[in-house]
Amino acid sequence: MCNGCCGCCSAFRPRYKRLVDNIFPVYPQDGLVKSNMEKLTFYSLSSPEKLDRIGEYLYQRAARDIYRKKYGFVIIAMEAMDQLLLACHAPTLNLFVESFLKMVQKLLESTEPELQILATTSFVKFANIEEDTPSYHRRYDFFVSKFSAMCHSGERDEIRDKIRTAGIKGLQAVVRKTVSDDLVENIWESVHMDKIVPSLLFNMQESGFHKKESNNIDVTSEDALDPPMLAETCLRELVGRASFGHIRAVLRPVFKHFDLHTLWVPNDFAIHTFRIIMFSIQAQYSYTVVETLMAHLDDNAKSSATIRTNIAGVLSKIIAIAAGESVGPSVLEIINSLLSHLRDSVRNEASQLEEKQYQEALINALGEFANHLPDYQKIEIMMFIMSKIPFPLVDNHSPADNLLQSILLKSLLKVGTKYQTIHLNTTFPVSFLEPLLRMSLAPDPDMRLLVQKILHTLIDRHNNLEKLSKPTVNIFDLELVLEKSSRPDLIFINKHGPIIYDALYTSLQMDTNTPENIEAVYTTLALLCVELASVETVIDLLQLILGIQSLSLNSTLLSNAQKFNLHAIVISLLALIPTIVSIKPLADYACQIIEQRKQEAPHLLPDLFSHYPTNSEVANKLPHLLIDQMAICEYVKAGGLDPSRLQQTSPYGAGGPGFVTGTQRNSWIESGARGSIIDIQTSEVDSACSSPGVQKKYTDEELTFESMKKVLTEPPEVRKEAEAERRKVLSHTFRTATFSELVRRTQPKHDVLQTKLNEIFNSLNSNENRSPIDEKKAAVPAYEQNFPELFYY
Amino acid sequence: MDDYKFLFKVVLVGNAGVGKTCLVRRFTQGLFPPGQGATIGVDFMIKTVEVGNEKVKLQIWDTAGQERFRSITQSYYRSAHALILVYDISCQPTFDCLTDWLREIEEYASCKVLRVLVGNKIDREDREIPTHVGEEFAERHNMYYLETSAKQSDNVERLFMQIAEDLMKQARSRDLPRYNSNHQNINGTTTPISDSSCCSGKFINAIVIFGKPTACIHCS
Repeated sequence: MCNGCCGCCSAFRPRYKRLVDNIFPVYPQDGLVKSNMEKLTFYSLSSPEKLDRIGEYLYQRAARDIYRKKYGFVIIAMEAMDQLLLACHAPTLNLFVESFLKMVQKLLESTEPELQILATTSFVKFANIEEDTPSYHRRYDFFVSKFSAMCHSGERDEIRDKIRTAGIKGLQAVVRKTVSDDLVENIWESVHMDKIVPSLLFNMQESGFHKKESNNIDVTSEDALDPPMLAETCLRELVGRASFGHIRAVLRPVFKHFDLHTLWVPNDFAIHTFRIIMFSIQAQYSYTVVETLMAHLDDNAKSSATIRTNIAGVLSKIIAIAAGESVGPSVLEIINSLLSHLRDSVRNEASQLEEKQYQEALINALGEFANHLPDYQKIEIMMFIMSKIPFPLVDNHSPADNLLQSILLKSLLKVGTKYQTIHLNTTFPVSFLEPLLRMSLAPDPDMRLLVQKILHTLIDRHNNLEKLSKPTVNIFDLELVLEKSSRPDLIFINKHGPIIYDALYTSLQMDTNTPENIEAVYTTLALLCVELASVETVIDLLQLILGIQSLSLNSTLLSNAQKFNLHAIVISLLALIPTIVSIKPLADYACQIIEQRKQEAPHLLPDLFSHYPTNSEVANKLPHLLIDQMAICEYVKAGGLDPSRLQQTSPYGAGGPGFVTGTQRNSWIESGARGSIIDIQTSEVDSACSSPGVQKKYTDEELTFESMKKVLTEPPEVRKEAEAERRKVLSHTFRTATFSELVRRTQPKHDVLQTKLNEIFNSLNSNENRSPIDEKKAAVPAYEQNFPELFYY
Repeated sequence: MDDYKFLFKVVLVGNAGVGKTCLVRRFTQGLFPPGQGATIGVDFMIKTVEVGNEKVKLQIWDTAGQERFRSITQSYYRSAHALILVYDISCQPTFDCLTDWLREIEEYASCKVLRVLVGNKIDREDREIPTHVGEEFAERHNMYYLETSAKQSDNVERLFMQIAEDLMKQARSRDLPRYNSNHQNINGTTTPISDSSCCSGKFINAIVIFGKPTACIHCS
């Protein structure tokens, strides 16, 4: 039309306008006039200074056509601009781009979906062009705003999807255009991210994949134009491009979106999204996501436990992905924050079902995390958790403390199950072993059981745990996996065996033990025996077995059922040991006792029960069914082992001189429930230790089980009185005794000092012959050496 | 037809179902869509008006009232020149929520944004909030107040024209502080202006800030 009326005066118009006019056909449906378009392109290439005017003119024409609703011409104008954009070289583009973007914006402002989609396509083309002149002043906020709005289009079905797709593509283009260039607008500003990220998430959540309702599932989800898929791709790209400083800008709107759309419960979509984020984020930043998620957990401290549980669930699903990348302090930070969440949860409210689930979820997350760390870090983590466990104090603990203990132990167990022990000494550094053993004497039987389970999982290396979980006398049915124990392991058990055995023995003395507790101790012992199958350990174990037997005979605290349980595990262990190290005579002996018990006293055999028939005979009255120390010695000897240690009195229980490992034991039992036993024995123990030779003869009668029991039952005042008395006597002696007598009393110490001094002087004298000066120097104190003249004059 | 002098961004906020979309439709397209569904996220309309021989382009962002879209809608407040806070005069809860909305505006929008309170649906018989209550509320919070009916096209035109005039007046008197690319901060100075007579609605000392065409591609 324009052409028609202006045809006559077209000669007077500027050339570029004529060229532009000529590309438009008479009827819009004829499409762009190709040959004239080529002329225009050629013209703009040969005189690039005209390019901006061409752009401006095209834009004006298109704006007018939009106003007149002649959309056909608009589309042609846009096409022409696209072609010019692609044809022209980068340096000349700058001004043209302005009109181009104005054009795109104009189209986006129209209400016609078709034009909006067209504009987006053009914009995407533009975004793919590399510009080499920076455009500081160019702004994209309109595009971000408009594309985000398009992502939320509420038009009718098909158009809706098309517009949404266009919106997502547009956002993707904006991101691509801006992200690589520092000089243009910063797309990571929250004003943009707060629009882009929710728009993408909104489209992703619309897809049916994570929803259970079948009516929502999009049939054509394989289609590449599916908005959810596209949004997902775009999100991946966005996250993948984010540098460390920008990650939070991306994550913040994600959390906000999940909160507002209540997408945490159920958390399928959240898991899906966070997986996407974790997999596309640059690996070294993945830790930030975990951190942010935990911070979000903090923020949600007040929300319902279900939400927290689900957030923690998400955490446990993604934490593994982060584990590979996080190193050093960040690992402990994550653990620490998980543990503090656990602690808070415990403090909050005890024993609500949701709260429990929340704790479970956290522990799971912890386990998942630990699972993906290298082994040495697992040990570190276990020690770290250990250090966070409040130790059972005799009088000062609340139910919350108790709960926390058991929860932390549960997490420890979780980490422990993920850990594959290779060498026992690396698994159990003293700083870990000692507190663990101390925990194994906790007053609460459930807690003791947990500790035993931790021990099981850490000791077991050959998957024998299942087979040994219940005491049994039919060892051959178990098909145990055996391996010769290594040198480091033997060193380990030699060093730490005593405290381990001792702790186990002491825990068997507890009158709160359930059959499960006793079974657990059995399993620990059996596993130790299997894992450390060697001659030395066998003797120690036999010693311990005898100790346990005498405990069950002499104890007055334990119930009959518990005593029967002890007998049962004793005989099971006895049956186990000779098969591990193959001592035939001993095995025969065990078999013989088992047979006899089967006939006369089946209650002294496994399985363990908490109640036995009332007519069950107490074991004390059946001496022939008991294990005899002398017999064992003999059989061991017959098996080719040296029984001398066995013949010595057992360090356990009655008949022994108490606790050989007194000092060690002292250190960890004092805070335990039974600290009182030790106090009075320290002195004896010390002397016994320092002179192993006299051990056997030492005060047998004084430290029988009865005497220990007396100590236990005696009120502490009595002991205190005795102590005070002793002190009084001592001070009295020192006040009243004559000097010579005191000298005599303290003489031995001087002797020692004297001999030492003599030795030193002797060694000095031996030097004397070589050089008198040397000798002199050696004799003078340091300050004189530094200033010899002072000495000489 | 396209050489406008000013471009202003106007954002509509308010509870779901108070008639924000209808107001926009009535103004931009001159129609009242019956059975309009809930807006999803954000909707966008444009309208160029003439104020004293000058063309003013209004970018109108119509936000969803639903709570769940709050995160995306909030991000649109920031660059707004004017915020229209809409409630339904026949629905007390929508009025009660105004304080929440104001808090949100305080938090996310520029503090100098022009704020307008609109009681919509005056065509309805079952009015629950009398005019003076709305007026008082507006006065208390430094907004100006208007009652409209999108259905009967009462005051709709005037609402937007008033905003356009007001924003333009400021744009003229002041040399152009504008929205910085980075965020909502306005780097220009601001002046409280006591504004002129408006026949029924009152202009109250609104603190306004003006922008010239914001997307710079226009003014290259």
